[in-house]
Amino acid sequence: MRSVRLKGLKKSFLQGGMILDGIDLTIPSGKFFALLGPSGCGKTTLLRLIAGLERADAGQIFLGNKEITDLPIHERPVNIVFQNYALFPHLNVFDNVAYSLKLKKVPKEVIKEKVLKILEAFHLESHIHKLTTQLSGGQQQRVALARAIVNEPDVLLLDEPLAALDFKLRERMLIELIELQDKLKTTFLYVTHDQFEALTVADQMAIMSPGGRIEQIGTPKEIYEFPATSFVAKFVGTTNLLSGTLHQIGSDPQVSIEGVGRLKVHIPQLKDWMEEGCQAVMSIRPEKIFISKKEVKNFSNVLKGVVHSIVYHGRSTQYNVLLSNKTRLQVFEQNEEHFPQEVIDYDNEVYLYWQKENVVLLQQ
Amino acid sequence: MKTPQLAKHYPFAIGIPAVIWQVVFFYLPLALLVAGSFLIWTEEGGFAGFSLEKFTFFFRPPYFTVIGASLLLALSTSILCFLIAYPIAYYMAFRGKKWKNLLLFLLIVPFWTNFLLHVYAWFYVLEREGILNTLLRALSITHEPIAFLNSTFAIMIMMIYYYLPFMLLPIYASLERFDSKLLEASYDLGASWRQTLCKITLPLCSRAIKTGFFLVFIPSFGEFAIPELMGGDRVMFIGNVVSQFILGDETGSLGASFTVLSCIVLVISALVLYQLLSWFLKPRATTW
Repeated sequence: MRSVRLKGLKKSFLQGGMILDGIDLTIPSGKFFALLGPSGCGKTTLLRLIAGLERADAGQIFLGNKEITDLPIHERPVNIVFQNYALFPHLNVFDNVAYSLKLKKVPKEVIKEKVLKILEAFHLESHIHKLTTQLSGGQQQRVALARAIVNEPDVLLLDEPLAALDFKLRERMLIELIELQDKLKTTFLYVTHDQFEALTVADQMAIMSPGGRIEQIGTPKEIYEFPATSFVAKFVGTTNLLSGTLHQIGSDPQVSIEGVGRLKVHIPQLKDWMEEGCQAVMSIRPEKIFISKKEVKNFSNVLKGVVHSIVYHGRSTQYNVLLSNKTRLQVFEQNEEHFPQEVIDYDNEVYLYWQKENVVLLQQ
Repeated sequence: MKTPQLAKHYPFAIGIPAVIWQVVFFYLPLALLVAGSFLIWTEEGGFAGFSLEKFTFFFRPPYFTVIGASLLLALSTSILCFLIAYPIAYYMAFRGKKWKNLLLFLLIVPFWTNFLLHVYAWFYVLEREGILNTLLRALSITHEPIAFLNSTFAIMIMMIYYYLPFMLLPIYASLERFDSKLLEASYDLGASWRQTLCKITLPLCSRAIKTGFFLVFIPSFGEFAIPELMGGDRVMFIGNVVSQFILGDETGSLGASFTVLSCIVLVISALVLYQLLSWFLKPRATTW
């Protein structure tokens, strides 16, 4: 259980494309840390650099206080769970899991005890002598996990480990991973492009943008509720972005939007870029907006629009509403009742309400 | 639409011409050969009984030497071919990148040339005033020309040169499909390069290695052109003895029985080789 610290890490490939451009990042010790980014942003490269599968062009990697930048891969106390598991097809489940222990020349009885214990914990005890190719996807996933943690690494690196599983199984594995991390207290670095997975598992997470930059670091709640950049706001969850001009920063901050009017915003902390009359982007999450055909009081903002389309999701319904300036806003409404008091249909005129505290103001 | 119907109900019908060919030109002559090795004929060509006499004829030290020499030749050729082919295949498959196909092409090109041309090309290299001797003298490594030709050295050079692709191609094909993530997983779990080779890479292409061994071992056991051309008359191999008997006067049936005998030796030694390779390439599940 040690922290991972990256300092000015750079990596470029000859063919161009993926580039890490001076990454500074601390993955706190004993935490479940998720690295979230779109495909091709360099997050897997970052993980491979920590594992030692790639060499950095510049920068340093520390494990606790020890620098491991130039340590060969097989000497790093770090293990990976690969995306497609990379289980050894010629070895059975037991020998796959025992692989690292046998290399360390651990006594046979100890190996047997450790491996059996971990296989039992992963409900694999009845598959010990099977070849890994005879197992289901979920079971292979657990063998890969068992193989990586049996060695008690300081840091466990997970490279999109659940990408090959179906949705239900993925949800269950996520819970198992959280419980596992709680029990082991090993530092987990979980790399994924799936925001649902990242938000579910992470104690802390970092968002990476294409071009290999870290956009924001924080708890899932901080990232989701208070995105720092419009990239983060758009990439994590869905959001409505409205750009306009910022006014009255000091007293009663408002954003005026062409063809829509003035909307009240709340500025919890003044940023460097905010000044009277500057361009700004408002981010409002669809579920923070209340939709109704009736006039309601006690909301700081209201807009009128026409329902353009409705998408039924089961637990919620998504309304796409066209504003007078042809901007489209998304609204999520929980389906709380079998027979809602108010039925909203296509082409209905509706009011959209939200509180100014639920708006995040971003730099243009 | 007759043919598809035939193929549907008798899926093996399509193989009939090949089977006829195989029976007439392979199994029948083989049966005659085997029969000829222990049947005795009268002067007029009539049947006169069985005898193992023609086999016991070969239970003599000179022939043991011949069989031993052939086994040694086949074994050393396949082992040397493996030792040379494996690193090349490994390099091509994992480091070749976009040059892969070009390298493969360059390896196959010599195959398009006539076998005798290969031999003559090597004559030019190895003869007294040949390229190798000239080079060695130019570099002042030797002062007198060395007689490379007509030696075991020349035989081995030519054997390896000729049989290398048979070992290389199956191994390359297997390594090329190899999931390099498995190597990364092995390193990640603490294995060094050598441990990964022994525990992951070699066991996982054991089938290709075995294939390569047999593609080299079996034909080189009966090889007679290369020893004849490159080795002069110094060492006799099975191929040379068989051709002498078969082509000689009245000794055809001795040639037949020697062929049968060497076939038996070949089958036994191939089985032993298979077991040895299987043991050697075993993943060592619980013992290592």
